[in-house]
Amino acid sequence: MTSMLMEAVKIELGATERWPDNVKLYQQYQVEQITFPDYAACLSVKTFLHMCGLQFTTELKVNAEEMSPSGRVPFIQLGPFLVSEMEPIIACVKTRGFQLCSELTDIHKSEMKAYMALIGNTLVNAEHYLAWFNKDVFDEVTKPRYGSMYPWPLDGILPYMKQREVRKRLASLEWTEKSFEEVCEEVLTCCQALSERLDKQDYFFGKKPTELDAMVFGHLFTLLTTDLPNREFALIIQKFDNLVNFCQRIDQKYYKNLNNDY
Amino acid sequence: MDEDVVHLNVWPGEWDLPSADPNCLATLAYCRFSGVPVKIHKDVNPWRSPSGNFPWMKHKDISQTKVTDIFSYLRKQKWGSDFNLSVKQSADAVAFVALIEERLLPGFLHLWWMERDTYTNITRPFYNKATPLPFKFWIPKRYYTRAEQTIYIGQGSQNISQADIDTKVYRDAKDCLTYLSHKLGDQNYFFGDMPSSLDAIVFGYIAPLLNAPLNSNQLTNHIRTFCDNLNTHCCNIKREFFPLSLEEQKAKEKKKVEETEDTEYPNKKRNMILAGVFALTAMITFAFVHGIISIEVIEEEDPS
Repeated sequence: MTSMLMEAVKIELGATERWPDNVKLYQQYQVEQITFPDYAACLSVKTFLHMCGLQFTTELKVNAEEMSPSGRVPFIQLGPFLVSEMEPIIACVKTRGFQLCSELTDIHKSEMKAYMALIGNTLVNAEHYLAWFNKDVFDEVTKPRYGSMYPWPLDGILPYMKQREVRKRLASLEWTEKSFEEVCEEVLTCCQALSERLDKQDYFFGKKPTELDAMVFGHLFTLLTTDLPNREFALIIQKFDNLVNFCQRIDQKYYKNLNNDY
Repeated sequence: MDEDVVHLNVWPGEWDLPSADPNCLATLAYCRFSGVPVKIHKDVNPWRSPSGNFPWMKHKDISQTKVTDIFSYLRKQKWGSDFNLSVKQSADAVAFVALIEERLLPGFLHLWWMERDTYTNITRPFYNKATPLPFKFWIPKRYYTRAEQTIYIGQGSQNISQADIDTKVYRDAKDCLTYLSHKLGDQNYFFGDMPSSLDAIVFGYIAPLLNAPLNSNQLTNHIRTFCDNLNTHCCNIKREFFPLSLEEQKAKEKKKVEETEDTEYPNKKRNMILAGVFALTAMITFAFVHGIISIEVIEEEDPS
């Protein structure tokens, strides 16, 4: 998948234009269909591309998940290549000569990767936990949304199949044994670490945005703005003023002139 | 006071390390760093540990079996090596622990459980030896399944082939080692001159990679060639916090002498005797067949 694809992309580097006009980002329908963990991932990638100043169009597809080479959204189509998920997309964009963290020292780069892993390890799993295993959220939001584009009886069956898949993945990471309180505690630890690292700076590593900023924005902004029956995570994030301000700042800077087209 | 002693059940040691399991090793290191009065038991009966896993810490009436939980419990008891970290450094420690869990752990598990050589020659014999009798029939198998799940289900989805996951986990693990090496730089410990919980966890993973008799593998090679400071970091911790006691050293030397004597011809005496017996029988049979020796049976005349 990604590894082989990346080799191919590297070979292709230099042969074609740096960033073609017709780059497309695929995801599910934004208003009706997409679930919020997927949406957070999409928003991270979009913010990252905006930060790099790259043009792309968003394509909405019912079966974006099945179209993706790794089975997860979002994925971008760049010339003849499909690249999915945050890390490979960052690597791919780098081979085209666009990079946000080129000025960072090795130590800062390592720290950036560590915080990105923290989000991937904690916030992403917590989002899945909330979306698929919190009864209220699953019944009222996740299940109807996930099945919304499919006819009966698929709209009832597919969410449960997806739930089983997510359960298997979370179980392998020992997350299914956690109670909701423990998950909240994990989120709190994660936000605390992020907030302490951000401190009073504009971005996590000084004056310029990095991919970590894109990722933090994608996940925190989604959790803050999504209207869920269980607002526990949003309440936790709101305890940290600098994180909330950070989200507003990025929102202003990158999405205001797009007419808030996330 | 007996009450104030923390009881710790861990997997037994191997290859000059106090324990062979990364989590147990990390916990032991953390306890040594912060001087926790700890009593170590090498009893790994999974029915006695509340979650069936080790390390299992017991202090007064409280039991913990996860490394991070044990650390935070000890921290609450004012035992800890993290008190002199700044807020930002503590945040970094949390992030790097997450990095290790996400990037290094799958590759590490793959090396110990999925590589056939390591599994049959090191991992499996170790767990077979360490686990008490009825449990050894299923406990190693259970760990194997868990490692398999962490690697293949935790990492990918059904669209990705196993071979791709294999390359990915090793690439991730090597990246993670490089990041750790950059973070360490030329300091003694990750956050200056005092060891912290992050040092303990890194030691837990790196020490088995460097000390076990592993075949040439990507991770050890990567540490030796590109991350020499991690190598030094691990040796320093081992030398400073886990020096071998005199008895252990003697036992080790004795074992070494025995091994050098034995390894060339492990059953020298027995083989020599067998060969002698075989040669003698062959010669006697030959002599009989060719009539060189013959036995005449002379009936003794009845004296009467």
